[in-house]
Amino acid sequence: MLYALMGLGLSLITGVLNIPNFAHGALFAVGAYLLVSFVGIVGNFWIGLIVAPLGVALLGLLIEWAGIRRLYTAGHDYQLLFTFGLALILNELIIVVWGPVGISHLPPALLRGGVDLGFTFYPKYRLFVMLMAGLLVVLTWLFLEKTRYGAIMRAGIENKEMVSLLGIDIHKLFTVAFALGAYLAGIAGALTAPIRGLSPGMGVDMLGIAFVVVALGGLGNLLGAIAAGLLIGVAQAVVAAYWTEASTAVIFAVMAAVLLVRPQGLFGIR
Amino acid sequence: MRTLILIALSILLLPLVVRPAIATEIWIFAIFGLGLNLLLGYTGMLSFGQSTFFGSAAYVAGWLLKHYGMNVLAALGVGVGVGALSALLVGYLCVQRSGLYFIMLTFALNQLFYFIAYQWTSVTGGEDGMPGIPRPVLLGLNFQDPLTYYAFVVVLFLASLWLMKRIVESPLGKILQAIRENEVRAEAVGYNVPRFKLLAFVLAGAFSGLAGVLYAMLFGIVPLEAIGFVFSGNVVFATLIGGSGSLYGPIIGSFVFIWLSESVSTIWARWPLLLGVAFVVVVLFLRGGVVEAWSRLMLWRFSKQKT
Repeated sequence: MLYALMGLGLSLITGVLNIPNFAHGALFAVGAYLLVSFVGIVGNFWIGLIVAPLGVALLGLLIEWAGIRRLYTAGHDYQLLFTFGLALILNELIIVVWGPVGISHLPPALLRGGVDLGFTFYPKYRLFVMLMAGLLVVLTWLFLEKTRYGAIMRAGIENKEMVSLLGIDIHKLFTVAFALGAYLAGIAGALTAPIRGLSPGMGVDMLGIAFVVVALGGLGNLLGAIAAGLLIGVAQAVVAAYWTEASTAVIFAVMAAVLLVRPQGLFGIR
Repeated sequence: MRTLILIALSILLLPLVVRPAIATEIWIFAIFGLGLNLLLGYTGMLSFGQSTFFGSAAYVAGWLLKHYGMNVLAALGVGVGVGALSALLVGYLCVQRSGLYFIMLTFALNQLFYFIAYQWTSVTGGEDGMPGIPRPVLLGLNFQDPLTYYAFVVVLFLASLWLMKRIVESPLGKILQAIRENEVRAEAVGYNVPRFKLLAFVLAGAFSGLAGVLYAMLFGIVPLEAIGFVFSGNVVFATLIGGSGSLYGPIIGSFVFIWLSESVSTIWARWPLLLGVAFVVVVLFLRGGVVEAWSRLMLWRFSKQKT
């Protein structure tokens, strides 16, 4: 479900802005680290969970405003270098600020321990993350499908010229889409922190997965991203149960296998 | 002719200015960049996974050199073969897509190879890298001597440059450039565009493979970074700062990149931060690479003299 969240955010950014966002993983990591810091300062997990992703969204706003905005007319190569450079900067800043050693973070007291589901014993926090991520995916989907601005955003994925011809400020739309994508990455990172702990490399690992999700789901295909995220998550969990070492590689193997059969991705049209 | 003199001069002067290892690394990286430039500059394909082929070749050839005492030339052949073969596998999946998809796929498959190398510790050494790669004697030439090895790499670089020049000036090269300019038209004229893209991809992989083996022999180790995505990004960066449109761009880029990163990385451990800043600054203010920045500087000086 977290993969779906990451993929959804990245799909939104790549779809609307038409740029390869290599900083998406770094935004994810920043979300996780911000959460830990806020929890450390305020002492309350819930406030941290609200504030940290907003911080990431703000960062996204800043990035779009200061850099990406100037690059819409440049080629993908320069856009790539820019976001890649950003990823390096954020990653190194994380090491400078929080140190290179991994940090483990406990879930809030309310969500420690597990619940008996009858057939299996499941940690409460993971259940919470599943529900939370599911809720966010549904909310984002509702926003895109049912609200006026969401419709504009989908239109922006389909045809940018048309949207701007209709008198809509496309640049504002880009900014909002990037901030929203960053927010989703940030909250995915914040939710992950108590499960996997934090390390500077977490962003890069997640970035690869997010790209796989988008490639499988189809660029700008938001429902596809959700489905692909779930598929990848399940595949990884199944393999991890039998052959732990291969659990990361399998994500990419699944992608390769799907692309062999369907080069356009699971739900891609182009 | 002038460029050839320039290259000859830099080949001779470089080992006097910087340590032989760095001088050698510059030419190795230039071979790597030549390969990428065939894709990026001539075919218009932005591959963000070139270290897949670089790293794979380095691991396989390094393993053979280390455990079976393989002949240097044979190891280079293996490296080129592994580079081409892995590029064939990756390229087959990627060339059917273009634009953003192509970038993301090459990156994702790069990650696949990275995680295999990361987990397969019995062969690759995982995070510690694969150490102990020898530089065996070839025809009485002792490659333990840094300058001899430098000369060897330079010869291979010149051969690569000559070959690449032949490739881009051949009918094949013209077809690739036609694909870069207008893919639909190239298709309409009757060329099998995915086939040619795949061919370019395999050729670039072969160059990367050669560079990978030379790199492994230079440092005696295959670090995990050699197959990581940062490495792929570095070569894209180096090619772009050199100017991707020309044959010699990657060479200039390789100079600037290796020299800068080597000198900065000894000063500060967090140097990738500066690298990231350099990426951002170049993209925002110096698009067009070193060549353009130089001409702009000249223009600026010229206008100052007049006033």
